Amino acid sequence: MKPGMLKAYIHVIKLAFIFTLKQSMTDAFILFGIFVQPLLIAIMALFILGDQGDELVIFIVVGSGLTGLWDSVLFQSGNSITRERWTGTLEVLVAMPTPIAVIVFGKNLAFVTQALGSMIVAYTFASIIFGYPLSIESPMLFILSIVLTVLSFVCLGLVLATLFVLNPDVQRWQNGLEFPVFILAGFLFPIAILPMWTTPLSYILAPYWAAVALHLSSSGKPNILEMGLPWVMMVLLGVLYLFLAFWLFRKMLFKARVDATLSGQ
Amino acid sequence: MNTIEVRDLRRIYKTTVGVVRRKIKEVVAVDGITFDVNRGELFGLLGPNGAGKTTMIKMLTTLLIPTDGTANILGYDVVHQANAIRSRIGFIFGGERGLYWRLSGIDNLRYFASLYHVDPEVTMKRIPQLLELVGLSDRGDEKVEGYSRGMKQRLHIARTLLHDPEILFLDEPTMGLDPVGGREIRQVIRDLQSEKKTILLTTHYMFEADALCERVAVIDQGRIVALDTPEALKQGVSDLSVIEIEVFGVPEEVMNQIRNLPFVDTVSVEDLDQKQALHVHSAKGSEAIPPLLSALESVRVGKVTVREPTLEDAYVRLVGGKV
Ligand SMILES: Nc1ncnc2c1ncn2[C@@H]1O[C@H](COP(=O)(O)OP(=O)(O)OP(=O)(O)O)[C@@H](O)[C@H]1O
Ligand SMILES: [Mg+2]
Repeated sequence: MKPGMLKAYIHVIKLAFIFTLKQSMTDAFILFGIFVQPLLIAIMALFILGDQGDELVIFIVVGSGLTGLWDSVLFQSGNSITRERWTGTLEVLVAMPTPIAVIVFGKNLAFVTQALGSMIVAYTFASIIFGYPLSIESPMLFILSIVLTVLSFVCLGLVLATLFVLNPDVQRWQNGLEFPVFILAGFLFPIAILPMWTTPLSYILAPYWAAVALHLSSSGKPNILEMGLPWVMMVLLGVLYLFLAFWLFRKMLFKARVDATLSGQ
Repeated sequence: MNTIEVRDLRRIYKTTVGVVRRKIKEVVAVDGITFDVNRGELFGLLGPNGAGKTTMIKMLTTLLIPTDGTANILGYDVVHQANAIRSRIGFIFGGERGLYWRLSGIDNLRYFASLYHVDPEVTMKRIPQLLELVGLSDRGDEKVEGYSRGMKQRLHIARTLLHDPEILFLDEPTMGLDPVGGREIRQVIRDLQSEKKTILLTTHYMFEADALCERVAVIDQGRIVALDTPEALKQGVSDLSVIEIEVFGVPEEVMNQIRNLPFVDTVSVEDLDQKQALHVHSAKGSEAIPPLLSALESVRVGKVTVREPTLEDAYVRLVGGKV
């Protein structure tokens, strides 16, 4: 990569991020998904857990928040390239000199941020209405964990986007991946209750380490060392996903140029 | 080194047909094409629907891998050096797809400029100039979904000039534009030509090709059937004159009868509102009129005129009556 390129790529990511958000904000259907749906889930979760103690409330809020993030990665980031193909913009993007991975990174960042933002709004709102305390035990550690969570989810979304373009049965895969990851990543209950053989699967999922970091820092006062493992794993897996995605993008785009599938009908 | 060098280029599409017994069907879209485009030249690709023009442009803009043969743009190979090519070319694929409809025209341009790594400050200066150039100055801040087809097409033209490319690939740039809009775009293309840009253009409008192109290649079923200047191509049919006969509903037997007349070279039918216009090519000139009219005895005939051949006539002869 030439010097100066990084600056150009960051500008691309910034604009892809802004314009993706701008497009969502004018879509009533997406707006419903962003604001109303998480609110309903939050109200329900808080309602069911009413009198079981503050700690459990925050555990559920963080856990169900993670499920929302995973959904947005799976369905929105996962479809990001496919959607550009339908509108005929993929072809235009590919014929330009910026790598598609850089563009999709910016788009996925917008999807994940959007999901995160909407949940923060929803939970705050719900806790005000119902008067539940939503206190984070270790705010600084929590915020850093959120940042790493967002970045590693974005990288995972890049991998999914390429896999889903290469795969004709996208929807089935998406539906099939939704709940297993909720469970394997321990969003809502600890993976200790799962059979042993699934543990390695959990460990290669950044969402698992995100759940560990977010649960630890929201419901307790862990020390930096305890946080170190999930943080390092999120960074390592994020970088791994990134390399994997760049490689898959190259494969996918070359195949699309051979098969003439860049412009979906 | 020529700006564009195409050697024995072929492209086959494989599609599966049938539901129960799936078979792979091969379509040879481009079948061994060779040509060069010089620096600063405006070169036209003409040919009937399905001739392979768009396929050709997609291979040259690095979006399709050729099945065989080679193509170089500014010395870079379209398969292995795609990235070097992408930053130096601009392209339009014709039609209204390929824009973000929920963003404004200006936002579309800002975004695409960033993908070409145009400096953001330069972008902000260039966008108003380009909008002015394509006549969208007062609509730039509106969402593209509210644009007419022609306005989207104009936005594409602005988009393709954002990074001031050396080479432009324009696939039917005036398709679907109103006459005034078409004329404006042709003026833009002429201005680009005078800036010494190399341009490869496809069009179905022969007068457009005649007015703009320095050389044209006529392709039919994936092969070049003629490659020359528009003047030379017209020269090729200068022995012919064209008799235009207005008719009101002409049966197929009568058409066949005319086709079989010994002095008739080709006949094409142009559908006008209530009537059709027969374009009959013949070396006999006005002498051909009486026998033609007697063949058309049973048909209501309107105005009859004889004129000099145009590029369209040369084209019709080359691709055999298909328009
Ligand atoms: N993606 C594709 N898959 C299969 N066949 C294709 C595909 N794209 C084009 N073809 C076929 O290749 C041939 C050439 O098509 P192409 O679009 O290059 O023609 P064209 O000269 O641009 O035509 P037009 O004037 O209608 O735009 C046609 O027979 C077309 O059906
Ligand atoms: Mg075409």
